[in-house]
Amino acid sequence: MAEIIVKYENKVIERIVTEQRRLSIGRTNENDIVLENRGVSRKHAIIEFSDKAAVVIDNESLNGTFVNSRKATEEVLRDNDIVTIGKYQLVYNSQNTNPADDSVGFDGTMMLNTKAQRNLMKNDNKEREMVERYGGSLLLGGENTYFSEYRIDRDVTTIGKAKFVHVQAKGFILSKIQAKIVKENDYYNLVNLGRKGKTKINGEPIDRQELKNGDLITVGKSVFKFVKGKK
Amino acid sequence: MKIALISDIHGNLEALTSVLEKIDQLQVDHIFSLGDVIGYGCDPIACMNLVDKRASVKLMGNHEYAVLGQLTTNSYTPAAKISTEWTKKQLTDREFTMIAEYHMIHEFEKVTMVHSSPDKPDRWQYILDATQAKHAFEHFSGNICFYGHSHMPTIFREMPDDIPRQQVGHNFDPSDDTRYLVNVGSVGQPRDHDARACFVTYDSSNNEIRFHRVKYDTAKTQEKMNHAGLPDVLVQRIAVGL
Repeated sequence: MAEIIVKYENKVIERIVTEQRRLSIGRTNENDIVLENRGVSRKHAIIEFSDKAAVVIDNESLNGTFVNSRKATEEVLRDNDIVTIGKYQLVYNSQNTNPADDSVGFDGTMMLNTKAQRNLMKNDNKEREMVERYGGSLLLGGENTYFSEYRIDRDVTTIGKAKFVHVQAKGFILSKIQAKIVKENDYYNLVNLGRKGKTKINGEPIDRQELKNGDLITVGKSVFKFVKGKK
Repeated sequence: MKIALISDIHGNLEALTSVLEKIDQLQVDHIFSLGDVIGYGCDPIACMNLVDKRASVKLMGNHEYAVLGQLTTNSYTPAAKISTEWTKKQLTDREFTMIAEYHMIHEFEKVTMVHSSPDKPDRWQYILDATQAKHAFEHFSGNICFYGHSHMPTIFREMPDDIPRQQVGHNFDPSDDTRYLVNVGSVGQPRDHDARACFVTYDSSNNEIRFHRVKYDTAKTQEKMNHAGLPDVLVQRIAVGL
């Protein structure tokens, strides 16, 4: 599985997760990734994926394809490489997930290394400002390209795959109701309910644990950041 | 022809004035207002007058519908309810008559304009995801439908035999053989974490859709809203675009 984040003038406008072996990029409708600006050729480039690597190939486009600001005709992509086409930037992420590894490094320390997690960290200040204005506690993040925000103002907030939960999460190994956040006075406890998948705080699977400000909650493939408010 | 599309002004005079200044620089042929000129903000009448003077087409929003008594505010948040009641008290018969003349939907050339959704515009449905967009695509005939309501600048592109593709609003050149739903964002109360006023221009002669963001004096608006006694949550949110 590979992820391509499409940016326009440094703003994330779309996130594409694909299991296809080949993605075409261009201005016209028949492409897999359509970039509608005149600086983009009709059939501008393709990205080919193998099990271990991805290669971007420029299709003799008029304005060229650039990898990390260098003009490229054919180039192997590594995680977080930036492909520039016209005014668009495509950020590549292999999303190679090895189920045995479970995000713990060789020395046993936890690695916060997915794009989603880093983005959440980066937007820290903005979030703080948002929470200060709102006053209450929030969950930030989720499946969308831009921020999703879930207010934790109920006594029990449910998280999972089902349509009826308060906060929807994505992923394959995930229960309908995977977890709940229980509000008790000023404390918020995250409780795992799912039988299929794990609920993690900062990468560690938990059964029941108090949430602290800034904790990263992983449910399935979705990552949420808990921000504690004053209310 | 070049048109400017403004929506969800919500009684924010400073945002509207700044947007109109920017529109003047852009030299457009027409300004179309997609509804919700009033509600939340503290200058409903001044905004209505400006829109009346400048916009060639004025569409009905749910906030206009609510003050006319056509829509219950039961499902509104407490702050929205309070602001609706507050707005209603400011308006006189003159403004109610003006609002009653707002249209639900407008079509010109290959373009449809509506406040919430081209499907049953008076039901005020949201188009927030690809499934809702797919449904909305079935309810207009031209190539492009501009709408507002959710305050989130968004582009949906119709895909043959597939769910529509969704992108955050950004400049693009629509192609003739594709259909689009374009949310033009909000002038007076943006909710995409960018406090700047948002509007869109569409140039039909060279097929350009441009999203514009305009900085305005939010502190002044907040001071006026506080003075008017409007709910704090409405005052705070405009400075952070939430």
